[in-house]
Amino acid sequence: MASTTESPAADVAVDEQLDTDKPWIVLVWNDPINLMSYVAFVLQKLFGYSNEKATELMLDVHHKGRAVVSSGARERAEIDVFRLHEHGLWATMQRDT
Amino acid sequence: MMRRRNSGPFVAQQDGTYVMNLAPDVQAMLVHMFGELRDVLTTGDSNEPTLQRLFPVAYHQDPDSNEEYQRLMRSELVASRLAAISRAVEVIDTAPNQAPILTSGDMSQFMQSLNAIRLLLGTMLDVSEDDELNGQNDLEDDDPRLAQHHLYAYLGWLLEGSITAQMNRGEIR
Repeated sequence: MASTTESPAADVAVDEQLDTDKPWIVLVWNDPINLMSYVAFVLQKLFGYSNEKATELMLDVHHKGRAVVSSGARERAEIDVFRLHEHGLWATMQRDT
Repeated sequence: MMRRRNSGPFVAQQDGTYVMNLAPDVQAMLVHMFGELRDVLTTGDSNEPTLQRLFPVAYHQDPDSNEEYQRLMRSELVASRLAAISRAVEVIDTAPNQAPILTSGDMSQFMQSLNAIRLLLGTMLDVSEDDELNGQNDLEDDDPRLAQHHLYAYLGWLLEGSITAQMNRGEIR
């Protein structure tokens, strides 16, 4: 009986390769204390977003509970999270899905 | 001709600085609160829920990575907060009996420290978005928490004033 089934080991290797290629994303989560104007201001200050873009992200945080504010390499994401924490924003990071 | 607005807690100057337009007793209160924040950061129990708000989880899906992150970065975050507090206190203390002058960097440090106090107080008071929407809480006049809620609202006004002054100048960097 002939078969062309690929080995499971090869599949895992490919999946792991794809996984490590995915960028990291930084999320800001909604909280009841930070002022909306403060969140928008911090996003402009730290990431250089326009007022319109920062306001859009802030409104996503407010209405949807969270927003992705940056993405990239893990080290970069950790720096972004740290700077957001310095400013009191509730930020986390994860690999993009 | 429109009269130039010169009100608000922070007034932008031509030379790029800001004047803190607050009464001496308010300045003293802020210095006191910054001191309390410094004490909490240096001697407080880091596992205490109120304090944890100042040190959020970084990896919410990965406890091991988060533990490693906190091990490496927490002391840096404390140091950063303490430096901001020191500068905020210094700006006020070096200008006795006159309006303190803040550089752009000072304003940023002041704003971060002010927000940190607000985060702690808001967490202690268990503030919710409903409180914010209603504009007022349902506390009775003799409720001992009322003064803290007023202080929380006042700190929000101060923070908003700081943001407005910086936004009007285009202080985004």
